[in-house]
Amino acid sequence: MADAKDLMARYVSGDATAFRELYALVAPRLYGYLVKLARQRSVADDLLQQTFLKVHRARATYVLGADPVPWIYSIAHRTFIDEARKQNRAVVRVADDDVLPEEAADLAGSTADRRDESRVDPELVRDTLDALAELPASQREAVILTKLDGKSVAEAAQIAGTTVGAMKVRAHRGYERLRALLGGRGNREEAS
Amino acid sequence: MSNDDRAIASTAAWTPAPPPLPAGFEAELATLAPVRARVPMKQLAALIGGSFVYALGLVFLLDIRDDLGEMPRTWIISVGAAWLLGFVAPVYLALVPRRGDVLPRWQLAVLVAGVASVAFVVLGLAIHPMGPHSVAYGAAQFGRGHVCLEIGLVTALVPVLIGAIYLRRSLPVASRPVAAALGAGGGCLGGLVLHAHCHVADGLHVGLIHGGVVVVSALLAAAVVPRVTTLR
Repeated sequence: MADAKDLMARYVSGDATAFRELYALVAPRLYGYLVKLARQRSVADDLLQQTFLKVHRARATYVLGADPVPWIYSIAHRTFIDEARKQNRAVVRVADDDVLPEEAADLAGSTADRRDESRVDPELVRDTLDALAELPASQREAVILTKLDGKSVAEAAQIAGTTVGAMKVRAHRGYERLRALLGGRGNREEAS
Repeated sequence: MSNDDRAIASTAAWTPAPPPLPAGFEAELATLAPVRARVPMKQLAALIGGSFVYALGLVFLLDIRDDLGEMPRTWIISVGAAWLLGFVAPVYLALVPRRGDVLPRWQLAVLVAGVASVAFVVLGLAIHPMGPHSVAYGAAQFGRGHVCLEIGLVTALVPVLIGAIYLRRSLPVASRPVAAALGAGGGCLGGLVLHAHCHVADGLHVGLIHGGVVVVSALLAAAVVPRVTTLR
């Protein structure tokens, strides 16, 4: 598969196939970020759609030769922030039946979520998502980007429009709090 | 590996499948037209060129200061060069991203804008040569300096406007710092115009009014421009 820069360049020059390929390349990671951030598939679906719509409308502001992925993540970040403000709450809480993982169709027509079966335990994922939902939005995002999405602190700072120092602090505090929450849950489960 | 680590690793490995592209989007792609991507260096050249022509026009419209020939040449050139650098550096950083990036270097831009804001106030307070034809308002008539503030802000309007048009709906994050940098750059161009036009040469006026143009312009731009440049 071509890299994101080439796809974006072809898309800007009017190649619709390149956009579909770009979507296939970026959407899975971006959707994971949004689901973990918004904690609800339906909200994440909407945010993903809005993000790509904004990318589409703003494609003339793209700079040829640049990596579009951090830019697209920044647009997703802004979309989430705006949506959260609109709903006047930082954490979008939902009923447990919307909590992941679940079966879903992907772009290639596969019915199962993409996952590394050897590493994914649905219960653990559910616990982590529950604990993540208890973090302030800025810390939650920092943890998702740096600890779950594998981005560097500099990349995460660029996406969130903050300084590297501030992102480092958010990621550290968020991670510590997440571990404490997960530890607390583990202890409660063992006691019961 | 502890339970916490396994839970975090498990969540990191889990990647939910995204929904397919909505039908409405597919319809839009069917009629996809090519667009011209942003070329930051071209935009920068146009912004600098257009703003200069405008600033030169203003200087000739307002007249060159009477005491210009009485000022030390070193001061005229070095302070003029400083105003020029104060104009170009923040607008460059606000418009031109690092190679490989889409978004501008807002952290550096806002740092340069901040340094320019403080430096020109301090520089004006500290160094302000006077000639026989220079005028001193002093503290008593400090308020009369509002005309210079207005001239400076009117000068800043054009670079800020051009920058805002070029960055229109393009910044998902850091819109305000980028706007502040554009404002500070525009304010420095205003300072350059005042450097060539205004013969009021006391420290309070030169520092707080001429230098203050940079601060006020940066603050005004930071308050207003994000309405245009933020990608929502």
